Amino acid sequence: MLPGTRRLLITWATLMALTLLSMISAQLDQDSWQALPLWSAGLVIAATGFKAQRLLMVYLNLRAATPAWKGTFVGLVVLTLALIAGGYLVARLTG
Amino acid sequence: MKERALPNPGWGPLSALPGNPLMWVLILSEMLVFSAFFALYAAERVAATALFNASQRELDPLLGGLNTLVLLTSGLFVALAVEAVSAGRIRRTRQWLGASMALGVLFGVIKGIEYAGKFAVGITPETNAFFGFYYGLTAFHFAHVLFGLALLALVTWRTSIENVETAAAFWHMVDLIWILLYPLLYLLR
Repeated sequence: MLPGTRRLLITWATLMALTLLSMISAQLDQDSWQALPLWSAGLVIAATGFKAQRLLMVYLNLRAATPAWKGTFVGLVVLTLALIAGGYLVARLTG
Repeated sequence: MKERALPNPGWGPLSALPGNPLMWVLILSEMLVFSAFFALYAAERVAATALFNASQRELDPLLGGLNTLVLLTSGLFVALAVEAVSAGRIRRTRQWLGASMALGVLFGVIKGIEYAGKFAVGITPETNAFFGFYYGLTAFHFAHVLFGLALLALVTWRTSIENVETAAAFWHMVDLIWILLYPLLYLLR
């Protein structure tokens, strides 16, 4: 069963809002370039994870699949984000 | 879930996936490939944090963000094309596909402006490790955008539910990779 126009539009609005939230959270308006506060970086990663989850479930309609497949794809996204966040944190703490 | 209730009966473990099962295999493999590159990037960043931070300042996160908005909207149009083709509205399907391709081209134009700006000041893939990753990852992704555009054009010509669903899944995968790529390269500093 397809997601339907209403659900697609809500998802699109959510994705756009989360993208803008990420950009604001990353403080792109700063004149001087600085490392992000950790809460800001955390917000960027959390927003990215939620965006990827919504895209998988609604745009790609993975919600119609079994829990095992949903878990596989969402798990892979979580693993990827953990790699990104881990690398970023280690660089921040040791750099 | 009973076998007959599955979206793709007869495909074994892939039966439970919506759309073309082989496209899901491709999506999974592409996600693994990009995740491996992201892990490499993370490791290199740890080894050369100051260089990566200094190089990252040369990127324009607003252009990257704009491209994210463009690609996500293009994804919406493709999903609406799937809804339209499922309802048997072929003309409307082609209109959504056309709008989606137009935004895909816009993504390419913005990316081209970004690349041109970098090359104009002498920043190339050989400049340093960060820009090697920047050009490598974004160009590899852009190759997927071009292939996705070709697929969308093909299914605009040969419009059927299965064809549009398959091309749409590929296009959403391109979206998904960019969603992960954008914060990695542009935002996290």
